[in-house]
Amino acid sequence: MMFGLVAQTFINGITIGAMYGLIAVGLSLTFGVMKILNVAHGEFLMIGGYIAFWLFTRYDIDPLLGLPLVAIALFLFGAVFYKILFSGLVKFHEEIKMKNTLLVAFGLSLIFPQVARWLWTADERGITPFYSGGSFPILGVRIGYVPLAGLIVAVVVILALHLLLTKTYFGKSVRATSENYKAAKLVGINVNRTYLVTFSLGAALAGLAGVLVVMTQAVVPDMGMAWTIKALIVVVLAGIGSVGGAFFAGILLGVIESVSAIFMGPYTVALGMGIFLLILMFRPQGLFGKA
Amino acid sequence: MLEVNNIDVYHGNLQALWDVSLEVGEGERVSLIGANGAGKTTIVETVSGLLTPASGSMVFNGVRLDKEPSQRVVRLGVCLVPEERGIFFGMSVLENLELGAFHKKSRKVKDETLESVYGLFPLLKDRSRQVAGTLSGGEQQMLAIGRGLMSKPKLLMLDEPSLGLAPIIVKNIFEVIKQINRSGVSILLVEQNVRIALGLAQRAYIIENGRIIQHGDAKDLLSDEQVKDAYLGTG
Repeated sequence: MMFGLVAQTFINGITIGAMYGLIAVGLSLTFGVMKILNVAHGEFLMIGGYIAFWLFTRYDIDPLLGLPLVAIALFLFGAVFYKILFSGLVKFHEEIKMKNTLLVAFGLSLIFPQVARWLWTADERGITPFYSGGSFPILGVRIGYVPLAGLIVAVVVILALHLLLTKTYFGKSVRATSENYKAAKLVGINVNRTYLVTFSLGAALAGLAGVLVVMTQAVVPDMGMAWTIKALIVVVLAGIGSVGGAFFAGILLGVIESVSAIFMGPYTVALGMGIFLLILMFRPQGLFGKA
Repeated sequence: MLEVNNIDVYHGNLQALWDVSLEVGEGERVSLIGANGAGKTTIVETVSGLLTPASGSMVFNGVRLDKEPSQRVVRLGVCLVPEERGIFFGMSVLENLELGAFHKKSRKVKDETLESVYGLFPLLKDRSRQVAGTLSGGEQQMLAIGRGLMSKPKLLMLDEPSLGLAPIIVKNIFEVIKQINRSGVSILLVEQNVRIALGLAQRAYIIENGRIIQHGDAKDLLSDEQVKDAYLGTG
């Protein structure tokens, strides 16, 4: 009985963790490449969730089919905000850049929820396609169609991102910029354009995570900061700069949270923060990061 | 080929260069020498588009460089191999070289250029799959130069290629630089090691406190009493 419960919770943890991984990879990418901490990252997730909600309720588009549309919308959205608010700030030196972009992102994380309240009210919104309640049993554990789809989507997106970063010229230019932006400029990489695309890509990844969230849980205007913090915990857990690492760390956090919830109930959130602090104290480069 | 006319350059509010003018001719080897902090690096970084001059002009083969971003400067055929090499440590040797051929024109002929770079530095071919961060200092310098060549430059600027390397390796690297020059690439070399710099170059400029204080044929400078006193330590 107990084993069945733990096994079931373990599976649930993996599917939740896949969303953590997806949101964290976007944050890790923008932080690693541009040295910008986008605290409005969770807001992009929220907006992605609402766009999927609109596509479903207004145009009858299945959220899984709507994924590319949401990704494109958030990519453009991220590009516009980057161009207007951040592009002027990244030219500054490290410390000034960090402080100013942090302030701008905090501002956005206050404005976006308010706009969302006007557009969608403060009520919880979720999507329940016809297959949403369905599940199938494997070895005594029930697997829901929606969480499974979410996991598959997350894995496919992460793999695609990994291939993009390691196999294409654009991906290599992103990694080069992340390692040494001055040297990247000297080999002829347009660093400003790399920044723009990277930031937009991060927003698109958050938007994709938002679609998974609106299918499995619900979206509310104020949810962004909680997801930013989740992403931050995962990024710290994984270490900066590793796409695969951030994804695995996300799954790890999801599983730890779910399984510990059996024993600790509502204190699991504190557990996440506890892990955050322990990692910062004893392994600041993260589990998969290099010292 | 490259003409720098009366540029003033600032780092923030601090002026780093005053009224600097210099010239590199087609196929020429020119050196910038001077003490640490004199402004040599600032000059090549300004030419490569990392810094923008506050006044003055820079012209390369008839094209104004002073307002161009670095990626345009590379495309026009001016490449800087930076101080401390600027290797992408986490990437393989081959990936580093491939990134050298980033702009479209050089990307098209990437494979041929790669072969000629391997011809100059056979060691890089053996190490092509290795992560660049695990190379020795000399190998990293070879990689940095090789990566610079991948962009098919007409003018190659090298900032302190001898830094931190054993004399025998420095000798090898300077042999290769001469070979590169013989294939038709102009060289602008920044060096603290005045003896090897003047050994390689045909002409040289001496920088002090952000100003060019002297220039002339390398041979003349080598026998100049003042230069001997100040830089060659034979006084």
